[in-house]
Amino acid sequence: MLSVRGLNTFYGQAHILSDLELEVARGEVVVLLGRNGAGKSTTLKSVIGLVRPVCGEIRFHGRSIRGLPPYAVSRLGIGYVPEERRIFTELTVMENLEVGRRPARPGAPGWTVDRIFALFPNLGEMRWRGAAMMSGGEQQMLAVARTLMGNPALLLLDEPSEGLAPLIVSRMAQMVRELKSEGLTVVLAEQNLRFAALVGDRAYVIEKGRIRHSGTMTQLAADEPSWAAYLAV
Amino acid sequence: MGNPALSFVAIELLTGLATAAVLFLVSCGLSLIFGVTRIVNFAHGSFYMLGAYIAYSLVSRAGGPVGFWGGLLLASAAVGLIGVAMEVFVLRRLYGGPELFPLLATFGVVLVVEDAVLAIWGPQDLLGPRAPGLKGAIEVFGHRFPSYELFLIALGVGVAGGLWLLVHRTRWGTLVRAATQDWEMVGALGVRQATLFTGVFFVGAFLAGLGGAVQLPLEAADHQMDLSIIIEAFVVVVVGGMGSIAGAFLASVIIGELQTFGILVFPKLTLVLIFVVMAVVLVIRPQGLLGRPQPEAGMNRAVEVGTGAGFQVPAVLLYTLCALVLAVPLVSGNYGRVVLTEVATLSLFAASLYFMMGPGGLVSFGHAAYFGLGAYGVALLVAKLGWGMAAALAAAGVLAGVGALVFGWFCVRLSGVYFAMLTLAFAQMVWAAAVQWDALTGGDNGVLGVWPAPWAGNKLVFCYLALGLCGGCVALLRRVLRAPFGYTLRAGRDSALRCDAIGIDVRRHQWLAFSLAGLFAGISGGLYALSKGGVFPTVMSVSRSIDAIVMVLLGGLETMAGSPVGAAVFTGLREQIGSLTDYWRAVVGAIIIALVIAFPRGIVGFIGARAARLAQGGR
Ligand SMILES: Nc1ncnc2c1ncn2[C@@H]1O[C@H](COP(=O)(O)OP(=O)(O)OP(=O)(O)O)[C@@H](O)[C@H]1O
Ligand SMILES: [Mg+2]
Repeated sequence: MLSVRGLNTFYGQAHILSDLELEVARGEVVVLLGRNGAGKSTTLKSVIGLVRPVCGEIRFHGRSIRGLPPYAVSRLGIGYVPEERRIFTELTVMENLEVGRRPARPGAPGWTVDRIFALFPNLGEMRWRGAAMMSGGEQQMLAVARTLMGNPALLLLDEPSEGLAPLIVSRMAQMVRELKSEGLTVVLAEQNLRFAALVGDRAYVIEKGRIRHSGTMTQLAADEPSWAAYLAV
Repeated sequence: MGNPALSFVAIELLTGLATAAVLFLVSCGLSLIFGVTRIVNFAHGSFYMLGAYIAYSLVSRAGGPVGFWGGLLLASAAVGLIGVAMEVFVLRRLYGGPELFPLLATFGVVLVVEDAVLAIWGPQDLLGPRAPGLKGAIEVFGHRFPSYELFLIALGVGVAGGLWLLVHRTRWGTLVRAATQDWEMVGALGVRQATLFTGVFFVGAFLAGLGGAVQLPLEAADHQMDLSIIIEAFVVVVVGGMGSIAGAFLASVIIGELQTFGILVFPKLTLVLIFVVMAVVLVIRPQGLLGRPQPEAGMNRAVEVGTGAGFQVPAVLLYTLCALVLAVPLVSGNYGRVVLTEVATLSLFAASLYFMMGPGGLVSFGHAAYFGLGAYGVALLVAKLGWGMAAALAAAGVLAGVGALVFGWFCVRLSGVYFAMLTLAFAQMVWAAAVQWDALTGGDNGVLGVWPAPWAGNKLVFCYLALGLCGGCVALLRRVLRAPFGYTLRAGRDSALRCDAIGIDVRRHQWLAFSLAGLFAGISGGLYALSKGGVFPTVMSVSRSIDAIVMVLLGGLETMAGSPVGAAVFTGLREQIGSLTDYWRAVVGAIIIALVIAFPRGIVGFIGARAARLAQGGR
């Protein structure tokens, strides 16, 4: 579904991603594992088009999307949930969802406000509340919900567990599994190994902008000593 | 109401509200556009002017109520489409670049529209017909009050309500508010920003056009209305808070009433008054009354282009060029000497702006104030007090430097657009003082009889004097930038936070740079007054401040050597085009637009980049 080859991204003179390779098949949950500054967020931003890779190939359903502006990538069916959440704090919950709303798309789960509130019941209870008055966990859910309103086929989730209490983290994990069962494909950037293990089918270990290791979650678990150093702080 | 004093105040309040209504029509669109696109749209005054002129043509052709009201609406719609055209054909190419460039492009549009209006409607003022059905007056508190002004108040309130509904009750409005906060995220959610921006420009231009059109029965359409309204609208937007429509409403009422009552209480200070209010608000509450604090970044990015290159003009080239320039007055006639003198003074003026704008990252919209202080200083000392030329020039530099020291103290507390707006406010205060304080400055008649000392009276001698003095000052400024002071200044521009952390007082360095720039601008202004034999308030108009920015950008922000080149090219172009056509402003405007789109690094930067590429043996 998504295939990335030889991706190189720079911030100014700094070479952040080097010859990055990724393959994501339909219906999978793929985890990008790496410590702070490894390049996970940059990878997701390169896919959605928020940063422009210098060279390499990004294909979605076989179609090259490198260099497209973010709105065009999004309209092809890729949803992006940023690490900083970037909620519109001046808007209410309902209005945040409205900004994300796009027409239904064949071959992707279709979302309505009611279905969103079924998935996130506590958002439904505060639908008229200003987003500035929400807790971190609630804002994270809103960020995911807002992107789902665009009916994506592929979801790029950047560290949804960051800064959240353990209870909320396990709710997030449950949510990811539900999304998967809806037929959504997910790429998840994470440094929380426990969370990754709860939801992932396969994982790539990334360090200094390079893929160091990859495999199914079970393979990785068996093989831990060979890659654990890349995650250690 | 029995009390006559009270009812008088009530009537004046209503008059102020009518002024406020038109001001709101213009400034709410300006605020909306800034909020969503982050563009300070100088052309908004042009939209207003076009609204008035187009409405004049439509209304005077078609009679009757339908013709009148239909004409106003049609004119506004036409202006809306002009706004769309500006966004699609000019601004869209500039998104994501330095923030200063769209702004300059809109100033280019101002110049083009001014000449277009002159060409289409001619130079005379045009007064439209009175509104059918609203020609009379009605009794309010025992006074007769024009019913058309009551209509304007109702229109202002109606538009405010309609705009509120549009922004808070429609999907489009939700997207607009979201984009005001984070347009990049809105894009990542699948919304095409360009379409949204185009819509915002349509609404903003439509309302500005409407403001101009409904003004027609009250005041004749004239050629200054664009700049006068845009300055007032800037004040409203800054006072209310950039991007806040409610703030624009509140500030329109404040400024409208201030103008109405200001004329009664301080007839000599009306122009200064609103800028004092703006300056006070900016200093106390930089984000405006109802605005939200903006994230950093902003206009400092203007400077990003090419500063990394650190490109140097080879010394040999520099000296050859200087020698060539020095030879010109010997062979050219008096006309050439006069032009070269002007180039020299403007070179120093541009270089002084470069000094704060390039390495300092301080983009001033009011640099003409210090040029003007110097010019008026020399003019008054020489013509009224009979001082000698040299002493007067030195005193003018000091006067401008002290002015910059005082204003700069406030300005360097702000950054980006807010810094620019505060410099503009101070410049307008100085300008207003020159216009209204006629006992001292002669008002619009200016000060005449400002001639150089007899020994320098000859055009050839004066030309060399100007070249020598300006060349020396530019060299001095350049020297300062190579000293540790210059490096600290650059470091402060690139990362104010980091500098603060290692104990460098960025603000103090910026303040000093601001004052030095003012001092040298004052010297150039003094020379300018001597070369012209007099001064008028136009020496410190907004357009002169913008001219200076254009000269600096023409030369490029990478090297100070660019600014004199920019000044020379700018002056040369104006002289050339001025001799070919009456519409030189339109040509200059078109050049500005072309420049920011095609040569964002300026002439010298462009040549430097080419040279560097050749040196590397590349393409
Ligand atoms: N806007 C930027 N400009 C310059 N460098 C950046 C920028 N954003 C990130 N970087 C650098 O790029 C590298 C990769 O950053 P990235 O955000 O992709 O890491 P990450 O794996 O998401 O880390 P984290 O777990 O902290 O989110 C880091 O070294 C970071 O310092
Ligand atoms: Mg990250």
